[in-house]
Amino acid sequence: MKSKLLALLGGTLLSGVAMAGGYQVNLASQRQIGMGHTGTGLVTGTSSIFFNPGAMSHVRENGVTIGASGIFSKIAYSAPESSGVTARTDNPAGTPFQVYAVYGITDKLKAGIGVYTPFGSTVKWGNQWNGRFGLEQLKLSAIYIQPTLSYAITDKIGIGAGLTYVKGKVNLQRSIPVQDQEGNYGKAELDGDGTSVGYNVGVYVKPSDKISLGLSYRSKVDVDVEEGDATFTVASSLKSRFPDTKFKASLPLPATLSLGVGIMPTEAWTIAIDVNRVEWSAYKSLRFDYADPVNGSTFTENARNYEDSYIYRIGAEYKVTDALALRAGAYYDNSPVQEGYLTPETPDSDARGISGGIGYKLSENFNLDASFLYINRKERTDAGDKSGGIAGTYKAVAYIPGISFTYNF
Amino acid sequence: MKNLFYKTGMLALFASVLLTGCSPEIDTPAPSAGEADFTSYIAVGNSLSAGYADGGLTRKGQLASLPAILAQQLDYAGGGEFKQPLFSEEQANGSGYLRLAGFTPQGLPITAPVTDKLAIRGGTATAPLYTKYTENVNNLSIPGIKTADINVQGYGSVQGNPYFERLTNNPSQTYLAYVGAQARAAKHTFFSLWMAENDVLGYATAGGFAGTLTPQKSFEDNFTALLDTLTAGNKKGILVTVPDVTAVPFFTTVGPSVKAALKAKGAPGFVAFTGAADNVNNLANRVLIPVGNIKDASGGKVLFTLTGAAYAPLLGTPTGKYWKDLAKDQARKQTGEDKPNPLVVNGILTVLLSRYAVDTTQSLGTSQNPWPSALLLDETELNSISSATTGFNNFIKSQAAAKDLALWDSNAFFNSIQGGFAVNNVGYSPAYISGNLFSLDGVHPTPRGYAVVANEMIKAINAKYNANIPQVDITKYDAVLFP
Repeated sequence: MKSKLLALLGGTLLSGVAMAGGYQVNLASQRQIGMGHTGTGLVTGTSSIFFNPGAMSHVRENGVTIGASGIFSKIAYSAPESSGVTARTDNPAGTPFQVYAVYGITDKLKAGIGVYTPFGSTVKWGNQWNGRFGLEQLKLSAIYIQPTLSYAITDKIGIGAGLTYVKGKVNLQRSIPVQDQEGNYGKAELDGDGTSVGYNVGVYVKPSDKISLGLSYRSKVDVDVEEGDATFTVASSLKSRFPDTKFKASLPLPATLSLGVGIMPTEAWTIAIDVNRVEWSAYKSLRFDYADPVNGSTFTENARNYEDSYIYRIGAEYKVTDALALRAGAYYDNSPVQEGYLTPETPDSDARGISGGIGYKLSENFNLDASFLYINRKERTDAGDKSGGIAGTYKAVAYIPGISFTYNF
Repeated sequence: MKNLFYKTGMLALFASVLLTGCSPEIDTPAPSAGEADFTSYIAVGNSLSAGYADGGLTRKGQLASLPAILAQQLDYAGGGEFKQPLFSEEQANGSGYLRLAGFTPQGLPITAPVTDKLAIRGGTATAPLYTKYTENVNNLSIPGIKTADINVQGYGSVQGNPYFERLTNNPSQTYLAYVGAQARAAKHTFFSLWMAENDVLGYATAGGFAGTLTPQKSFEDNFTALLDTLTAGNKKGILVTVPDVTAVPFFTTVGPSVKAALKAKGAPGFVAFTGAADNVNNLANRVLIPVGNIKDASGGKVLFTLTGAAYAPLLGTPTGKYWKDLAKDQARKQTGEDKPNPLVVNGILTVLLSRYAVDTTQSLGTSQNPWPSALLLDETELNSISSATTGFNNFIKSQAAAKDLALWDSNAFFNSIQGGFAVNNVGYSPAYISGNLFSLDGVHPTPRGYAVVANEMIKAINAKYNANIPQVDITKYDAVLFP
């Protein structure tokens, strides 16, 4: 009888949890951010480790790069049929970073290592908004460590491959819709991490001085959380239904296939065009399996059914002097989230990004690169009814300044 | 140095303007009153508009009453102050109420009365009188009132309805006259009228055993009189139909488990009393109710009341518990004492058992010891409730059309959500406790349930008057509170 009575309690608890569409973070190099994050068809310097391991063999100097960005993002929300129920995220600044080192073993063979963060998301809606039973806060991060080898077959062709060791972390908090005597809602927190391995391969071709081409593929990585901690705070009479327990989950970080072209019409100009195909269709559902039944069930599962998506990028660099370079770029990022599947984790929609940047040679060996990226996501209204989302209208913008230092030797 | 401070200061200012000033905005239409005027809103109704929940009226319930939530939202569209006859902080628990104390080992909910901080000023244990509140108010709703009561002289006296007695300073004033006087004092520009539940509910919750259904003619006459008072001078407002009072947890919680238990035993059915108090005094008023006729998800019609939960497990065992409890209750009313003399109780019990020809040494649910009529609605009773509800609602709808008023069809709404729905990742249904909509008495909504209702009424008002009253965030209101 109790189980029957309470079967519906927090009925959709822990459904609709998780990472979001567009939890990919394309901020791998300050120079390339300034150019709309193109780079597959270029020798981008040390960051070729990320953009195209095949191009790394054509990097002229040994070098080490350290850089970081600050993501200042806000998402506005308005409930359906209402001008009264609104919310706004209070996201802490995200700090994706990148470290690359490239060393020439021989003229043709180069070794490198990259540490970068291509996936991550911190969304904080807080515990007051009407969708807090869907999500209060999500922190997702993934650090990729990628040792890489690249070989110049000729001075026109380079190939490269790297192994990616991935460490992923997820922390998710949401309210449980049962109240104690004071009216406080319950709370669920899922915290876990996992590691996994993938690869990154690329080929770079430079048929002439004025044109270069690149193709790269970064494999899918499933971060398997084996022993995550699920913690529940509820009224004491319900605690036995919400025991603290362990959970298992698998978070797919999708594969990305990139094709890029570089055009160098003059010594001073570099123009780049990239297309990324992100294989989001790997993200079919989000499932948590619990070691002990939570609210009467050993698992929760919510459909995601993402679609593969394409990102179109264009960027340019103009060398004003030997020391100073100016950059600009733009991109259009199609949302992988289908209608009815929007969730507050990252209320994804088609995004437009515009960027600018400067490069400055501080000394013979030191380069400074700075970038600024503005992302504007289209306003999107969705019922979220197929994914356990929160119905309403969402609109997101982000401001992303970033800086890096490169030491060449 | 100064210059440096200036420069970095300006830079920080620029950055903060850039980063905060360019926050995303979603354009939503501005609130507006449309063709209506919400400057002075008054609410006329029963317990559903008074803020009644968990079997009582409390300050907390009043603060989250349906009209209070509406008034709060109307405020965005030019609404004014909405005054309620609030119990004081010191007497916040008002009439007292039920709280969820825990669960039995079998998982049944245990409710317990809360009896501190009451607003009782006198009267008897079974008929208390509440602390007076005779200032002018905007919420004129009286728990327990029927449309049939509005012209009854003395309804506001100590012998009448204690909630009305609390508000009026003239014991001989009728409720209709009170509404007229308050409407004049408020110079109201808008009203809500949701009234007719008790004209069927009183009968229904007593299992058709006591109380009466208000005849259609007297309902129409009284409703018209009330409506004329509220619409005088072409005032605008909203009318609400009567929901299907038999679809609330009070009637839908116990039956399914009884059905399952009888099926498990292989029992073909059980015998119950049927009909009203004055004609059960013969053996002919005992009917066999086949198991299949008990309503649950798979079908059937017969309903058990929530008050029958304590006796349902006793079906098939010899017991006189129901009659002993009834005798005790009647003795309390007779003597006005909370713990009446056992001799008085036993005297009443003997009379009851003899009058209804009940043999409590026989199993409950047999023809010698039938299931009490007050704890069950059989098909005949259900049909009369249903036809009365339809009759009242047809009249309410015709009046809304004739007087060009907004109408919220609560009957259609509650029928549409029988299967449950989800908002904000929270499930809602008419299920007891777990459904979030109904409070522990099984009849009245939780504050959250009232907020859901308020949003539906807002939609109806917006549609009728081309207004744009914003919806309320229902997650700010409590459902059942667990220990």
